[in-house]
Amino acid sequence: MKRRKFIKKAALTTASTIAAPYILPAGRLFAPTGARVANHVVFMLFAGGIRQQESVDQQYLANQGLPTEGNLMLNMLEGAPPSNNLLFNLWSPVNQPLTQSGTLFKEVEYESGPTGHYNGHTVAMTGNYTATGLNLNINPEYPTVFEYYRKHSDPAKSAINAWWISEGLGPYPSLNYSRDSNYGAQYGANYLRPASLFGDAGTQLANAITYQPDDVQRINRVKDLLDKNFHNTAEDLPGIHNTPENREAIKNFILDLQDQGQNGSLEVATPGNNYNLLTGDLINISAAWQVLDEFSPELTVINSINLDVCHDNFSAYLDFLHRADYGIGWLWNKIQNHPTLANDTILICMPEHGRNLDSNNLTDQNGLRAYDHTGDTNSRRVFTLVVGPPDKVKQGQVFGMQGNPAAESIDVIPTIAHILGFYEDIPFNSLPGRVLTEAFV
Amino acid sequence: MISKTNILLFFIALFTFSACKKETSVTKQTVVDNYIYGVNGENLYQSNVEKNKQKTAEQYISILYANLFQNSVPQEDLIELAELRVSIGDKQAADELILNNFVNSGNVTIPSDSEMRADIDKFIEETYLRFFLRKPNAYETFELKKEIEDDADLTPELIYQAFALSNEYKFY
Repeated sequence: MKRRKFIKKAALTTASTIAAPYILPAGRLFAPTGARVANHVVFMLFAGGIRQQESVDQQYLANQGLPTEGNLMLNMLEGAPPSNNLLFNLWSPVNQPLTQSGTLFKEVEYESGPTGHYNGHTVAMTGNYTATGLNLNINPEYPTVFEYYRKHSDPAKSAINAWWISEGLGPYPSLNYSRDSNYGAQYGANYLRPASLFGDAGTQLANAITYQPDDVQRINRVKDLLDKNFHNTAEDLPGIHNTPENREAIKNFILDLQDQGQNGSLEVATPGNNYNLLTGDLINISAAWQVLDEFSPELTVINSINLDVCHDNFSAYLDFLHRADYGIGWLWNKIQNHPTLANDTILICMPEHGRNLDSNNLTDQNGLRAYDHTGDTNSRRVFTLVVGPPDKVKQGQVFGMQGNPAAESIDVIPTIAHILGFYEDIPFNSLPGRVLTEAFV
Repeated sequence: MISKTNILLFFIALFTFSACKKETSVTKQTVVDNYIYGVNGENLYQSNVEKNKQKTAEQYISILYANLFQNSVPQEDLIELAELRVSIGDKQAADELILNNFVNSGNVTIPSDSEMRADIDKFIEETYLRFFLRKPNAYETFELKKEIEDDADLTPELIYQAFALSNEYKFY
């Protein structure tokens, strides 16, 4: 009969050939169609609006009139932490700085369009600049990376291989597929907002149970019997669709995730697995890890957004920056200890946009000035970190400096397409950005 | 066309009456050959051919709740259900989880397995009325009865979920 149970680990096996890039007859330095650099990509949209000054430039409070600099991103960047004027307790890093395991494009340009969160997300996830400035709750105009991946991979990939996991709701659930008539929901990604599952909305599943496969078959058998006697079908629910088997696996996964959260067995991205230290971003990263662990998807996009508190609380922004960095280090450590993902995953981190050079008129409890993101040159400055195994990603490289960006925000999607071997299959002129080839062995 | 409000009122009325066998039997006396069924003046479907408009997600959840709990869904629950549905990309999966939760909440009046098997014909007719607002035809009764008789583990809970997930239930 019915009973809740922990679902078996059913990591998807992937079998493919790793091939190094080669020079095409046309002179292009990309992998041949279908050839991959790695079989898994995690794109961490380190979002919420992050200034270069407090991130890669490691200036801490130097722009607030206090002579204290230092590195808050100990998991991602090399550099000593601030030694005084600490606003919060620093967490010890999980790993060596990720820049040692990859290539840092220290100066990257968000070249055009409004520097809004939704727009920044769409630029990062579609590889095209857009003029949309509002947080519209509609699917983006250009195809997302998920649609390129699912449509142009050979063999075609099911939705279980592509996940978009966001910290917030609002317009973000709409980013798992586009309005493009040649792509759309049929090539979209699975979407999840874990915070809802652990919050009040999640209580709406408090009594749901995991059914055994034979009970699922019974439900489906009776449903088929009923459907046979009805003339219409209701298969056109808007949004993405999974196969019945994958849908069942996802349902079980969601219930299992809730169970783990409730009984305290969920691994979370905090020191000592302390639930009291969780931020919204860290809840998102922790749940994203569960998705990676369970399904080993080939393409996963995760975001943070808590850092947007910088509009009125600079101290909290620094704190969230430090915590989110910890989450990324924690996630990479988990990936490196996973039987399928280890040594076959490339992690890419990039803020969706920066923040202004000049502060607004607000100050926080420590008298520190706050910053908006209204499209000045500073808010168009971001960075991109590409991390991976040494046989795939060049280690320890740094490109770009202020005034001389080494890449653009729109370059991440071509780069992901290159890693997963479908870049050459994307229609010409769809992606104006370039593959960041200098990051790869 | 039967409006959403009418459907909800019908369900409330249906279960109010079905709590009393005597009144239920009086109601059924007005039924002639699976044609028109009336409860407080509300019509049932003559056949499923009349159902050609798909319920919206909001209609589906609201009607499902009313159908199972014999009450309208509280506003607070509706907000949480809407958020839950948005937070899961596969809407079919979300709906199935919500249904699963409803059916297993312990607050839904579901016949026990022994009650169902004591009078399968009655269970089938009441289930069709409850979910499809119509009586089953002879062939539909035969098919479902055979399923129930052939499978001792096919419970009313599972059958209710099959009805709520069926194509016909998603139309009005």
